[in-house]
Amino acid sequence: MTMLDDDRLASLFARAGAAFEVPASGADDILARAAGTGRSAGHDGGGGIGDEGAPDEPTAIRDGRVRRLVATAGRHRVISAAACIVVALVVAGTVGALVRSPSGPTLTSSLPRTGLVAPVSGATTTVPQGSAVAGGTSRAAAPLPSNGAQHAASTPAVTTPTPTSPSLPSGAVGQPSKIEQTGALGLSVGRGDLDRTMTRLTSLAGAFGGFVASSQTQSGSGTGGAPYGSITLQVPVNDFSTVLKQAQALGRTSDLTTKATDVTGQYVDLQSRITALEDSRQQYLTILAKATTVGDVLAVQEQLDGIQSQIEQLQGQLNLLNSQTSYSTLTVTVSEGTPPPRPGPVPESGVVRAWHDSVGGFVDGVEGVIRLAGPVLFALLCLGVLVVGGRALWRRYQRHNL
Amino acid sequence: MVEQQLEEWLEDGYVASFRTACLILGNRADAEEAVQDAYLRAWRFRDSLTAVPSIRPWLYRVVVNSCYSKLRREIPHRDRRAGDEPLAQVPGRGADPEASAEQAEVAGTVLAALQQLPLSLRVPVVLRYYADLSERDIALAIGRRQGTVKSRLHEARRRLAADPALCALAGAGDAPRSEETGP
Repeated sequence: MTMLDDDRLASLFARAGAAFEVPASGADDILARAAGTGRSAGHDGGGGIGDEGAPDEPTAIRDGRVRRLVATAGRHRVISAAACIVVALVVAGTVGALVRSPSGPTLTSSLPRTGLVAPVSGATTTVPQGSAVAGGTSRAAAPLPSNGAQHAASTPAVTTPTPTSPSLPSGAVGQPSKIEQTGALGLSVGRGDLDRTMTRLTSLAGAFGGFVASSQTQSGSGTGGAPYGSITLQVPVNDFSTVLKQAQALGRTSDLTTKATDVTGQYVDLQSRITALEDSRQQYLTILAKATTVGDVLAVQEQLDGIQSQIEQLQGQLNLLNSQTSYSTLTVTVSEGTPPPRPGPVPESGVVRAWHDSVGGFVDGVEGVIRLAGPVLFALLCLGVLVVGGRALWRRYQRHNL
Repeated sequence: MVEQQLEEWLEDGYVASFRTACLILGNRADAEEAVQDAYLRAWRFRDSLTAVPSIRPWLYRVVVNSCYSKLRREIPHRDRRAGDEPLAQVPGRGADPEASAEQAEVAGTVLAALQQLPLSLRVPVVLRYYADLSERDIALAIGRRQGTVKSRLHEARRRLAADPALCALAGAGDAPRSEETGP
């Protein structure tokens, strides 16, 4: 191979260059354009030596840059459109964030505000897991028995309207208030203490004149989790708070929900209807005594049967209310280690459940869209920055290698 | 007076600048436009000449930058137009047909070899072996350090030496360099 030394290369390049005929009017054209345009005109080219431009030609340089920008945008329509979309999204996101920014703190507590809610209209107290060691005791709780004193420190703080008997003024509707009270308590006990705790809860209900409505215990490896049990206690309403406190003392409270519902109006209504029906029955009995024909007797007897049926039906409802207001229901779930999920609410009808599911799904969808909007916007923003930065680096790299 | 200065520039360097641009761009029409743009640009910013140590590499720098602009902005985005034929296809000048054919062959071979080089190597090698700039002036012209220029020239020579057509041309006994054909 022939070595290409500097002299040979120079010779070849010189001969190659000599083959290119120089335009005869090239220099004259340049002179003419330079003379015709003066200092401020001429070809804008790249705005100076290289691309930097000069400080004494700001307008020409600015115009040149604008033209170059427009030309570049025209050549790269996809990138330009993407950049416009990113800018629009960023502007929209910024405006949206400014418009939607809250003017003050948002209250997220679901607890009723004391003094604003009638204590008898229904009060719910929920103590979430983890707050059981907050210390303190319920303001309305009855004094603890001595055997529960050692667990007082683990009693959760309850600052809402109390789960005890509400203070509806007696005689407001002609008779003492009737309050239906229920509660659900989640207890976590040590390993091997499940049976002992269930037994103590049963004894607790009996000690206060109550009884066990239902009981269920699940243990063993087949359950797929820690053993747990559930027991439903019916205790006299006046002893509800005491029983609740003593039940809490049997373990670590993981969840507590109490609910009090005033059923006085319903109770009085039932009583009034029963009284009216009894009056009607008494009048029909008087009429029956005066009936002379078989037809009259049968007709009155038919009316009396109807009235008697209504009275018995209403009396049954009244008895149920009496039972519910005389005995409070306390459902205690006991688990070893982690507490089991709370028993769900009373099953709803199919249509109501479907409606609730539909509404929940819609809300979940909206939340999902909102939740995704932020990351998507952020990803688009990052993508835009990467594209712009990458293009700048690429141009710089190209310029560097030239 | 100022026109006189431009005339001096053109008289001194237009031919060399034009042929340098031809070798870089490989296209006569683009080379003519690039050189015209370069001189007008240099003319517009002649005030900054006070900070330039040497006029010659500065003018070459403007020419090279103008060629870069052509290559980067215009040539990739347009269709080939009339007059854009490769310079090798343009008949060489001169009265002797044999000499013209030989000159066209040399030009075509050199151009083909140059077009195989990337711009980062093509520009220094053209400035070095056609424009006869020193490594220091090439560094000024392309805005790179002298060591970078040296390494690029080395790489360009290595690649050109690997071109069989160019080597054959060099081995066939290239004519000695004359004052007429040089820049």
